[in-house]
Amino acid sequence: MYTQFFKHHWLKSVRAPGYYKNLIVNIFMGLSILYFLVIFVLMGFMLPKILAEAAPQLDPALTFNGAMFFVIVLALLIRFLFQPLSTINLQSYQVLPIKRSKLVNYLLLKPLLNPANYLTLSFAIPFAITGINPSYGIGGAFQFILIVIFLIWFNTLFAIFLKRKFGSNILGIIVFLAIIAGLVALEYFKIYSIFDMSQRVFGFLIENPIGLLVVMGLSAVAFVLNKWFFAQNYYPESFDKKVAKKQQAETQNFSFMERFGKIGEIISLEMKLALRHKRTKNVLYTAALFLLYGLLFYPNDMYKENDAMLMLVAIFVTGIGMILFGQWIINWEGSYFDFLMTRNIDTQSYIKANYFLLLSLSIVSFILTTPYFLFGTDILINHSVAFLYNVGVNIHVYLFGATFNTKRLELSKGSAMNMQGVSYKNFIVIIPLLIVPMGLIGIFSLFGAKNIALIILAVLGLAGIIFWKQLLEITEKQFLRRKYALCEGFRKKE
Amino acid sequence: MNTEEIQSTINTTITMPPPVPVTANTVIKATDLRKIYNGVAVLNIPEITIKNGESFGLVGNNGAGKTTFFRLILDLIEASSGEVRIDGEKVARHDDWKAKVGSFLDESFLIDFLTPEEYFNFTGKVYGKSVGDITAFLESMKEFFNGEILGSKKLIRDLSKGNQKKTGIAAALLSDPQILILDEPFTALDPTSQIRLKRMLNELKIKKNMTMLISSHDLNHVTEVCDRIVVLEKGLVVRDIHTTEDTLKELESYFAV
Repeated sequence: MYTQFFKHHWLKSVRAPGYYKNLIVNIFMGLSILYFLVIFVLMGFMLPKILAEAAPQLDPALTFNGAMFFVIVLALLIRFLFQPLSTINLQSYQVLPIKRSKLVNYLLLKPLLNPANYLTLSFAIPFAITGINPSYGIGGAFQFILIVIFLIWFNTLFAIFLKRKFGSNILGIIVFLAIIAGLVALEYFKIYSIFDMSQRVFGFLIENPIGLLVVMGLSAVAFVLNKWFFAQNYYPESFDKKVAKKQQAETQNFSFMERFGKIGEIISLEMKLALRHKRTKNVLYTAALFLLYGLLFYPNDMYKENDAMLMLVAIFVTGIGMILFGQWIINWEGSYFDFLMTRNIDTQSYIKANYFLLLSLSIVSFILTTPYFLFGTDILINHSVAFLYNVGVNIHVYLFGATFNTKRLELSKGSAMNMQGVSYKNFIVIIPLLIVPMGLIGIFSLFGAKNIALIILAVLGLAGIIFWKQLLEITEKQFLRRKYALCEGFRKKE
Repeated sequence: MNTEEIQSTINTTITMPPPVPVTANTVIKATDLRKIYNGVAVLNIPEITIKNGESFGLVGNNGAGKTTFFRLILDLIEASSGEVRIDGEKVARHDDWKAKVGSFLDESFLIDFLTPEEYFNFTGKVYGKSVGDITAFLESMKEFFNGEILGSKKLIRDLSKGNQKKTGIAAALLSDPQILILDEPFTALDPTSQIRLKRMLNELKIKKNMTMLISSHDLNHVTEVCDRIVVLEKGLVVRDIHTTEDTLKELESYFAV
């Protein structure tokens, strides 16, 4: 029976229209996974050295054990935010004579077979060799790897349970963050050291054979919790009830936007679009996380001299909202595009509304990243230039590029790695968006003339801001040329 | 009100011409209209005109080109040749006609993550209607909605197919359009709603002299609502009849192959 389910699942993904069409996207995904795999393996080998440097008084394995608890909680948060709930078209199976426990088991076990979940092992195995082996011996290293596997199971199942039980709403995330902040505070104010506790617990787990039983028990508990949840909410209607309750609370109003006439109406519609779909909400969270991206680079002396890299980070961070949502502009409205095209909305207003939306996203991102100015004048100049370039050039590139993206975007399914509706065109747009400014800075700083590159970028941006109307007219004409292709593309459901 | 005023109102009522003068101007004109997909002409209309106030019914089996014709009028697909004009103005890549036309073809005319109220509000605002206008309109739709659409706080995507259809039809009427285009408005509606819709369309025809283009698979309904019926077959106009008592029989015998 289970093999049948997996076969159906496989057929569903292979027979989805666009599976083969998306070959380039898949190749790109494959390459980026490979990239991360290599990074992880290297990190795994390097980590003992790094830890020894960071905390010379401690054995690397012990330092790692101390951090383990935090790693698990953080991983749980990330899973809670981004891990998709596995689904099966329950109704069509419910009417068949299949035991319901089988359906539930399938639903629960499916994510455990997802290879993406085991990416952590590419890091854990090298670390077991170089970090655990010297301290605990070969047996300890093996036990460590097994413990990691069971903890992955525990995290996966527990995150699913939390998500099913509480839903991934803002409140859940706030509670989660509050718990993490509480743990950090306990540590920081030396009230109770989680670090020491974690060190003792994981040391014990790795050393004693019982440790294996403990983590096994943990994943079993997570599994049973899920089973218990399903026992209570088996029928789709009980899910619906929950959904219906949520909807009522969720209908926000953006009447302040509606004062700006037709354009304001369209923008407020797009804001509702962004806040009422899983996929767009995930992007919002992602954008919030990426605001912190600069922290990986700016405090690090390694990147101080790498001007091109710093520019890339500046553009990315100051425009994060615009960059993430801009790639979907226009085609995220695919499901009601015919409606927009037949209503009393002239093309000019429609394009302008999208422009203003991206503009306000850029401004918000820029304002939120002003604390980075504390890292010095260089960063301040970089960010200001990046902002000008984002507003003057990148928004227009996105709007113009959007007319080529004829794929309908399905927004109701959300997950971190959801590439539906994404085509190679989304990657082409990256060239003027990120590569051009990065390249300019890189080339000019070779000759010690970084400032000239900065001026060129700023002038380009300013020109785009001054001539925004003319640029929008070009996009408008292009949009009218591509209108029918867009209409036709958006009518095709995937 | 004093007697003099009453008298004057009576006088004006009597002397007033009928509310909307019935003029026989052409509102929609298609010439040499062709749509070709992969070498096959799915629609081929040398010329067709639709007059002001006419109720135009379009019938034909699946694949006859009904929706294609509507989409060409609404500028949602590009004609392989020829053109459509509304009030003498070209439709293709223009915006002016949009203010005059109300339409509902399929679910891509609905914004499914809004509540019906939000959807009507958005549509109304886009046509420059005030909140009062919209409320008054929704009030007039109460019977048609049968108490199921407004105030439920449900999103459109959670409504039943029939209620979704009602929402779409109402949004098409909201702008008080001069021309109304509906693709199979009767399917998915319950019998009561079908009858109410027919009554509503007939009233609009008389009171507002609205030009209507309605396609349907149900020959009964379409003959009851439309004065003129055009039969499409494989993209060609094969019948163009003025509705009389015998029309239904004629159509039935045509389709009974």
